[in-house]
Amino acid sequence: MSQTDFTVEIFQNEYLPSGGREVNAIVTVTAPDDLAAAGAAGGMSDSGGRAEAIIIDCSGSMDYPHAKIVQARAATQAALDVVRDGVAFAVIAGTEVARPVFPVDGSLAIASPQTRQAAKQVVANLRPGGGTAMGSWLRLARQMLTSGSAGLRHAILLTDGKNEHESPESLTAAISECDGVFSCDCRGVGTDWQVAELRRISTGLLGTVDIVADPSGLTADFEAMMATAMSKAVADVALRVWTPQTAEIEFVKQVAPTVDDLTGRRTQSGPQAGDYPTGAWSNGESRDYHVCVLVNSAAIGQEMLASRVSLVVGGQVHGQGLVRAVWTDDEALSTRINTNVAHYTGQAELAQAIQDGLEARKQGDEDIATAKLGRAVALAQESGNEDTAKLLAKVVDVVDAATGTVRLKKKVDDADEMALDTRSTKTVRTKK
Amino acid sequence: MTTPGKPAQEPAEEPAAGLTCPNCGQPVWPDDNFCEACSTELAPAVNSGDSSEPATRQCPNCGGSAITPEGYCESCGYKVPAANNHVELELDLVAGVTDKGLRHSRNEDAMALATTQSSAGPVALAVVCDGVSTSSHPDEASQAASQAAVQVLLAAVRGGADLGAASARAVKAAQKALADLASSAKLLANAPSATFVSAVVTGTQVTVCWLGDSRAYWVDADGPAASRQLTIDDSIAAELVARGLSEAEAMALPQAHVVTGWIGADAGDAEPHVTVFAPDGPGAVLLCSDGLWNYQPDVAGLAEMALPDAMDDPLRAAATLVKFAIEAGGSDNVTVVFIPFPPGTRTRLGDTSVIATTDLGDPR
Repeated sequence: MSQTDFTVEIFQNEYLPSGGREVNAIVTVTAPDDLAAAGAAGGMSDSGGRAEAIIIDCSGSMDYPHAKIVQARAATQAALDVVRDGVAFAVIAGTEVARPVFPVDGSLAIASPQTRQAAKQVVANLRPGGGTAMGSWLRLARQMLTSGSAGLRHAILLTDGKNEHESPESLTAAISECDGVFSCDCRGVGTDWQVAELRRISTGLLGTVDIVADPSGLTADFEAMMATAMSKAVADVALRVWTPQTAEIEFVKQVAPTVDDLTGRRTQSGPQAGDYPTGAWSNGESRDYHVCVLVNSAAIGQEMLASRVSLVVGGQVHGQGLVRAVWTDDEALSTRINTNVAHYTGQAELAQAIQDGLEARKQGDEDIATAKLGRAVALAQESGNEDTAKLLAKVVDVVDAATGTVRLKKKVDDADEMALDTRSTKTVRTKK
Repeated sequence: MTTPGKPAQEPAEEPAAGLTCPNCGQPVWPDDNFCEACSTELAPAVNSGDSSEPATRQCPNCGGSAITPEGYCESCGYKVPAANNHVELELDLVAGVTDKGLRHSRNEDAMALATTQSSAGPVALAVVCDGVSTSSHPDEASQAASQAAVQVLLAAVRGGADLGAASARAVKAAQKALADLASSAKLLANAPSATFVSAVVTGTQVTVCWLGDSRAYWVDADGPAASRQLTIDDSIAAELVARGLSEAEAMALPQAHVVTGWIGADAGDAEPHVTVFAPDGPGAVLLCSDGLWNYQPDVAGLAEMALPDAMDDPLRAAATLVKFAIEAGGSDNVTVVFIPFPPGTRTRLGDTSVIATTDLGDPR
């Protein structure tokens, strides 16, 4: 059946024991098959079109090995080929300052065979030399992306190193200036960059982060990223959560395709409602969220609306899902754990265990590292998250996956450790 | 068809004073089923689920006045009590009370009552259904099933059909109503289902039909000793009793309440049971869901509480038993219907009182 509006499905066990307050639900949000058509009626149209920026690290280290700058140029050229005719675009070279390389006046070009060709020639001449100040890159991207009228704004940021030529505070300030203006997918090439730094940018700007350890993998990755960006049909979608008076939100997390805690990103949108940013959506795209609410408990037999979840696009509300609470003294009902809630609780714990385990390993605390990564192995096995299980097996020797018995490997490739870290938040969905 | 005793086209005999059709205002006779002028049904069946609207537009918890279309308070989130949380229905010849009880969040029981006229005099009929909690939409299921069945029984009595055969047809109609509900709501995976018990009481006999563990009892005016249970549950417990276990032993088993017969899209070819008997004196037929008999399965105990109101004031008798079940724990929805035998002579028409009340101050 074709969908004409956002749908919101709720998966939960609504039954609480006497005195129970915590209500958990997995919310599956699916975008309509044709957002543009749905938008005509519901304020979802992005008449302003889209704008893309590609930010290439041109610091001196990009020349060591030389393959990094060679592959970065090729990947940027390939991504430019994916930009559809009529889309506004820009290319930025990043060092200790940001420099508009196409168009050089710091505005936006409109994609056509001619402009793409011109841009590719400029990119072919990019030479490494200088430092790294990513906040300045983001600020220039913001300036260029907003120079036109595009509603869907997106950037790709490629770096190979640490943010050495500006303060962390300056980067933080730049991220918050760009928040809500454009989304940003971040890629680290090689192993000399910091996962935490790029993750700060990608989560702040609702994008993805990944490692491309071997520069030869950049072209395929850039093409795929640009194709995904081209598929986005509506920007600035918010998840609106209504809760009863006196209820408290424990957390609101995106849990599929990746874990992303949105709790702190709430904007109050009414006396009992808050909006959480979800960025841009493609036609038919589906994501899962975990909503956890603390309500005041009520008498046995009472039913309560614990939250109402909908989507907000351009000020209009789309779709609706109701999260309920029903108090019962039937333990068979109240002790039942919804399989979706259990699954995603496990996936979120898996991501946290990996990040904690890798941090402990860096600090030299082998006992905690072994315990955390062992727990991660057990969770990955239990939930069928095979990709994560494979990444874990490169960092630990698995003695028994079911019980999470592992030994830390003595020698771990930096790229493997960074891949595990960046991809720790990737989840698998349950079969519903 | 003209009913004996009814003046046909004779202007000399006036209709009973003041009786008029509520639709067109034309005079009608006390024993008319339909208005001769406009064909309006004069004594339609009434159902405890007739009002699906919330009972109030104000939240009993916080006093908020914004109620969502789904019946939740827009301020505190409380579900506003549904109109069918507590319903009392009284027709001239039959009365019943249904209540959500103390432990369930909604009332999944339903009752449908009707009175009509046959060639042999006034007839009262009733259907009680108890929605199976683990199926989809059990509250809508019991309501749809009871309503479909009572219509078939009403038509059969008016048409002079065999009441045993009509009862089986009424079950089929209830089955179909549930199948329709299942397909309209795409619920075939967890088909809506319910138990079923019906009674048709004429001046000479009582016809009872059932499928599941909702029960019918004969409460005899002579007292508890002369009263008896008319149905045998379709349940694991009843099957074990039939094989020699004592009732107390059987009911103590964890699976005792598992029903082995029900109506619903997934009920297969379950056949209803029909029993017909001719009482040799006055009394009343009691129909109830297991929310009542869980607390008092013994007919003598039920009769003791219900007499003598069961014959004289069936609404009061039904209310007494519902109150008993709630005070005993109210662990399930409870529905009680009494039909006095023989059905009284119907002298008043249009005196149908339907009382739907919801105890808003009640913490449940």
